[in-house]
Amino acid sequence: MKDKVAVIGVGCTKFGDRFDRGYEDLICDAAFEAYADAGIEPEAIQAAYLGTYMPGAGGGKSAVSLADALRLYDRPITRVENYCATGTDAFRNGCMAIAAGLYDVVLVLGAEKLKDRGGRGLPRFGHPLLAKGNSAPGLFALAANRYMHTFGLGRETLARVAVKNHRNGAKNERAHLRMEVTEEQVLKAPMIAWPFGLFDCCPTTDGAAAAILCRADLAPALSKRSAVRVKGVGLAVHTGRPYFDPTFDYLGFRSTQAAARQAYAMAGITPRDVDFAEVHDCFTWTEISNIEDLGFCAKGHGGGLVDEGRTAIGGDIPINPSGGLKSFGHPIGASGVRMITEVVTQLRGESGARQIHDARIGLAHNVGGPGAVACVVVLGH
Amino acid sequence: MVGVTRVGTYFPRRRLDRALIAQAWGARAGVGVRTVAGLGEDALTLAVDAVADCVGDGDPQAFDALYFASTSSPYGEKQVASLVATAADLPRTAAVADFGGSVRAGLAALRAALDGVRAGTIASGLVVAADTRLAEPASELEALLGDGAAAVAVGRDGVVAEVVATASVSEEFTHVFRTDAQRYLQLAEPRFGATYGYGRDVADAVGAALRKAELPPAKVAKLALAAPDARAAAEVAKRIGCEPGRQLVPSLLAEAGFLGSPDPLVLLARALEDAAPGDFLVVGAWGEGADALVLRATDALPARRPRPLADRLARPLPVPSYERYLRARGVLPAESVGGEAVTSVLEWKELRQDVRLYGSRCDACGLVQYPQARVCIGCQARDRMTERKLARRGTVFTFTVDHLAPVPELPMPMAVIDLEGGGRVYLQCTDATLDEVKVGTPVTLTFRRLHEGGGNRNYFWKARPA
Repeated sequence: MKDKVAVIGVGCTKFGDRFDRGYEDLICDAAFEAYADAGIEPEAIQAAYLGTYMPGAGGGKSAVSLADALRLYDRPITRVENYCATGTDAFRNGCMAIAAGLYDVVLVLGAEKLKDRGGRGLPRFGHPLLAKGNSAPGLFALAANRYMHTFGLGRETLARVAVKNHRNGAKNERAHLRMEVTEEQVLKAPMIAWPFGLFDCCPTTDGAAAAILCRADLAPALSKRSAVRVKGVGLAVHTGRPYFDPTFDYLGFRSTQAAARQAYAMAGITPRDVDFAEVHDCFTWTEISNIEDLGFCAKGHGGGLVDEGRTAIGGDIPINPSGGLKSFGHPIGASGVRMITEVVTQLRGESGARQIHDARIGLAHNVGGPGAVACVVVLGH
Repeated sequence: MVGVTRVGTYFPRRRLDRALIAQAWGARAGVGVRTVAGLGEDALTLAVDAVADCVGDGDPQAFDALYFASTSSPYGEKQVASLVATAADLPRTAAVADFGGSVRAGLAALRAALDGVRAGTIASGLVVAADTRLAEPASELEALLGDGAAAVAVGRDGVVAEVVATASVSEEFTHVFRTDAQRYLQLAEPRFGATYGYGRDVADAVGAALRKAELPPAKVAKLALAAPDARAAAEVAKRIGCEPGRQLVPSLLAEAGFLGSPDPLVLLARALEDAAPGDFLVVGAWGEGADALVLRATDALPARRPRPLADRLARPLPVPSYERYLRARGVLPAESVGGEAVTSVLEWKELRQDVRLYGSRCDACGLVQYPQARVCIGCQARDRMTERKLARRGTVFTFTVDHLAPVPELPMPMAVIDLEGGGRVYLQCTDATLDEVKVGTPVTLTFRRLHEGGGNRNYFWKARPA
């Protein structure tokens, strides 16, 4: 599939507590921006993929909410839901449909309106007895504590991930949390689930993002934009109940490792060829483990990369120049598509104060579950 | 020989200093502490823990009866004994029954079980009594009561205390009561009831039992009288010709409180800690009449003594304030925490997995896993599983302390636990200080009330520091 699909347009709403906007408004905002960016009209879209964890009220558990928001009728639209990898997996499905020769132009859109539902964090679905009492921070914290116990990592290194991502996000007008934080602030924040304090956790966010894909050979005719090409995609599922797996070491996620292997193989590259990455930093520790699982360093060495500043913009492997989930926010189904918009913008050289010098290969990564589903997308020129 | 073969006890780890109750109400401080059941604990869960202590490493499938006694059962209608028997992994063919009505139910259930052994209808039975009685805030009973449980195994083999005689008296007497419309236990006329109700009935029942046993009062080695206060028990002892200081088994009032139906069985456990073979033990309990039981310690006792109560009461977890006590007992209700209902279909289908705590062992690679599965998580072998009972002990592999999880008491530790003999589980932790749950902590599984989804009590396993 390498180089057969191009991204010709992207759009992204302001992320945040979007009490001023409904679910369908967010879909429109992201889609209209993507149409304009690509320079196409919606009539050109032959199929669409909607990534959403919980469709807005009235949307049902289907793709209908995208069709109704955009009045995009009488063509195939599929809803993709795959935990936190929902957005990147929707993108992956769009790529596959084009590569299979079914369509020439596809819209991929991720949207989530978490703040309309009240309460804290995500609603929990599950067995009424088994694993009861778990929370998203609590589940990732199980891995963080085992990892920190094994490698002797301290909370200070976790805090440095937050400091870096807030610094990047502060430069990004569409980010949810646009303030810088100090290491001391992060360490002294109220505890959420040990070892994660408030600033170790991404926020719950409203937002939507869109990408318009087309057959790479048609890109020059369809759009004036210089097309970014899809180099490789990978998706892997592992157990959604890692806490019951006696063989699991809790030091990283096999789903990410497998998805990365697939994507690198398809792209014909190694992790060393990646210039920058948007990785799934739902919690600070997750970013450290992710950069190991993606092969940017050996297991147990991710903290060192952070401590040495190598993951900052200007470092040798910038991670989450957008601000990441940590600062940009995490509307579940939107996040993966939002990462794609960041990677495309960086590759086009249009990221302004956040621009990574000579960015040629960028990677987007989601992991959910924790560790149950991971998706990796590699884009380049 | 028919008699008691083993005894076990269980007390909630939380203790409320009586000074905190006095401080809350401006009253004179009572002595010592009382045990306090937490939000996830009730008479049923305490009973499961007491049965676990009693059965120890023995085979629960060897028991053919279980009687549960309580006046504070979590159900108005629904048998508790059968759930206790299931969680304790007794065979499905066990004869079970609930006893209640008054705190005499504990000793009454023991009498009934011993009668069953004598009649040959029970080969090896368990009697478990547990109570978490609730007193009105600021009432005299509030500081007096304590929560706890005791389990007694009965049979013909391995008897540590054989039955010599039993006696009963029964007569209407209104002293302690709670109608079906009342939440809190009521106390009618404290001094009058203690003397003319408790004192008279217990003395008559114990006196009758001693006469049946042809045992002079001076020959009693241990007089185990469940009593709401130390003075009442001492008065009975004197009334029947015993010396309270020498013969009376010390009450648990200062360490735990008056426990209700388990009280006589807990005192029996205390008596068995240091009784010598041949010693006569007398157990008495009151409740609109009284029951008395005369036992004689056997030569088997020294090898099978119960763990000392002092051990069972060690490592208390102080309840930090009176308000926290009210919250723990549900008097100050916590914001209701939703939970999905456990449908009766799901409960029935997963009973062995969720309540008996059976996992699977892969015959191809030997990996023990939980929950039960058809394809091995280690080697992907298909349908090569054998059902495997999981151990109730394990070690924390990893953990967190969650400050936001949807549970009534925060912060809450949760842990991934590797069980002895295999299997990995993921459980809420309870009865732990925040620094007790960490990688490597040894834990014991304990059956607790998890949530109230569907308006029911939904029980599942939690972990507590071993």
